[in-house]
Amino acid sequence: MKYLSLVWAGMWRRRGRTVLMLVQLVSAFALFGVLQGADSGIKQVLASLHGNRLYITSRVAVGDPLPVGLLTRIRSLPGVRAVTPRAVFVGTYRRPDQRVPVIAADVEPFFRIYDELSVAPRGAVQALKSARAGAIVGQGLITRYGWKIGDRFTLQSPLAKRDGSRDWEFDVVGVYGGPENSRGTPPSTAVVVNFDYVNEARATGADRADMFLASVRDAKEAGVVSLAIDNAFANSDHETRTQSESDFLTTQMQKTVDLDFIVRAVVAAVFFALLLATGLLMMQSLRERTPELAVLKTLGFSDRRLFALILAESITLCVLGAAIGLAVGAALLSQARPLVGVTRMPAIVAAAGMGCAVLIAFIAGAAPAVHGSRLQVADALAVR
Amino acid sequence: MGSVLGQTALLTLTGLRSLAHRRIAALVTVISVTTVVGVLVSLLAIREGTNVFQPGSAGADEAVVLSRGASSSIESALSREEFTAIAQAPGVEKGADGRPDAYALAIVPVDALRRDGRRGTVNLMGFTVGWQRVDGGVKVLAGRLYRPALRELIVSEPLRKMYQGLDIGDHITLRGTQWTVVGVFTSSDALADGALCADAETVMSAFGRNTFSQADVRLASPAAFKVFADSLERNPAVAVEVKTLAQQFEQNFGSLRRFLTFISYFIGCVMASGAVCGALNSLYASVDSRQREIATLRAVGFNALPIIASVLIESTLLVLPGAILGTLVAWGLFNGNAIDTDSVVFKLRVTPHLLAVSVWWALAIGLIGGSLPALRAARRPVASALRAS
Repeated sequence: MKYLSLVWAGMWRRRGRTVLMLVQLVSAFALFGVLQGADSGIKQVLASLHGNRLYITSRVAVGDPLPVGLLTRIRSLPGVRAVTPRAVFVGTYRRPDQRVPVIAADVEPFFRIYDELSVAPRGAVQALKSARAGAIVGQGLITRYGWKIGDRFTLQSPLAKRDGSRDWEFDVVGVYGGPENSRGTPPSTAVVVNFDYVNEARATGADRADMFLASVRDAKEAGVVSLAIDNAFANSDHETRTQSESDFLTTQMQKTVDLDFIVRAVVAAVFFALLLATGLLMMQSLRERTPELAVLKTLGFSDRRLFALILAESITLCVLGAAIGLAVGAALLSQARPLVGVTRMPAIVAAAGMGCAVLIAFIAGAAPAVHGSRLQVADALAVR
Repeated sequence: MGSVLGQTALLTLTGLRSLAHRRIAALVTVISVTTVVGVLVSLLAIREGTNVFQPGSAGADEAVVLSRGASSSIESALSREEFTAIAQAPGVEKGADGRPDAYALAIVPVDALRRDGRRGTVNLMGFTVGWQRVDGGVKVLAGRLYRPALRELIVSEPLRKMYQGLDIGDHITLRGTQWTVVGVFTSSDALADGALCADAETVMSAFGRNTFSQADVRLASPAAFKVFADSLERNPAVAVEVKTLAQQFEQNFGSLRRFLTFISYFIGCVMASGAVCGALNSLYASVDSRQREIATLRAVGFNALPIIASVLIESTLLVLPGAILGTLVAWGLFNGNAIDTDSVVFKLRVTPHLLAVSVWWALAIGLIGGSLPALRAARRPVASALRAS
């Protein structure tokens, strides 16, 4: 500790240069924090999803219709707590840009599977079961369009009804609300309606669902139950693929952009450039201070101590830059919330960043430190 | 004052000669500019890749029809009657045989295994017979075209390279039925260029569908679009939305392109700010090591302008190789690499435009990084600079 002031003084010997170097470090680590933070933040969100929820889709492709006849078989499998068909279509309210997703499902199991959704008033789910053309609508729609319980609303949809009309009328029997920004949960701007009603009214696709949702009694059994479901339909006309919520959403999201690869490549490039710059700075700084180092040696500093001193300077600089950079990154990340849906930089990212900083400091400082510790006092003092 | 030029040239030459002493610092500057430009160009190459979907003037006479309210072709459903009405609407170009230049397609997303073992989704597109008439750019590279009523399909070249089991003669099993790959094709229609293509009726019967996803028509002229769109919108028998190719492009790729642009320039800016600091460091060192020499020249009558100019020229000469090297690295690593997002395949493209972007960025880094050291060199009082050790 008593050498700290010496390290500090050495670091700030040329103030302008150190400030420039710090800016380089800060920009590199801010970028690392934002990219890696967004990447692992999204992964953490995915991992925290409901482990007991299963998505059963056609093995041909997600969204390819599955006959509802399969449900009886799934319901009878051990470990399955609830299962519902799901068919989604998009309706538009008064204007074409007022898009309202309509989720048709068996409402009772649906709200048991999404148990994080709260439904008001009490008994609305039971009421919906008896009101065929009823709907439990998301809180967001209530605020946007001012609907009240008992209101009737009409949605236009590309999905034609048997009578040739494309107007779908529903009565509001209840309201659901739930956690915002949770990727697994249905958005608060959707409506949930009876699958049976939609199924009978539509002109095409009768008795088919775009997927089944299920929940298992125990999240630990999710893997076993998934396999049991898929095995039940193996080699049939309708092979299924059952995935946990996090697996399902990961594959859906990876389709958009391979974020992992971009993050790794950019971070590697940035750190490579940073390593060179830091190494150069330490080299320059030591060359100028050769006589001073010689003085320290004359005063009795051992080779090893001088080595440690130079390395400590490099580490202090990098760790300081990394700390500021990661703080900036965390601040930027909280600004980017609407874009990535992650609010806080995971602690593991900050730790990894500091680890990288120390590593860079070691590599960049090693050569100058070896050079400095091997100085011959007489030669070094002779340098002007 | 022709001597200003002479003085600048002289100063630049001495600066460059002393570069040998500072070769590591100079190399670090070059490498840091290379990484900035390399990353920026690579990211922008993704966005540039989506440009192939942007219809040029050639596509101005094509229109796309989806069902009303559908935000993408996957969501859209057009009945056979609607397609007939679309093909017969006014404004549609007719071929020599009197048949309208229109086709419909049914899109079915299917699962496939990539060569790297990950699962991906590709579009199986079923086309009605008008396809090759409207889209003149379809070329079968190997094998032959699919035949209707047989479960045969052709695969686009980028898709064949990316996924397993899509070579000619391979069988793919989709819901218990086997499809045979009979040909490899390329198409000027970029959406089809990342898909498996087959006959529309065959695809629809295999997947239990009786609606098309989308209809495309060639119009008699770009001006006929309004007539065509109005007549369909007024027709009570159909519920459709008509778009130009350009509108569909914006709808399909607008948000992805905006996201990529933002990400590219955000990362580019942060990295560039680091590179500017690196350049500043390097050029300050250059100016400082020559301060006595510069002061001597000023004492004998050189003025400030050539000194500033020479430092800026030196910084420019340092960053330009970085720009070209960075673009070359990005080109070598990524140009032509196919990536797919949401079952649309496109290639990364490093274009001359991106080289220009990279040169501009490098120049900006060089000029900002060179300006402050240049001012310091020109401003330092001669007497104190001469006395400095």
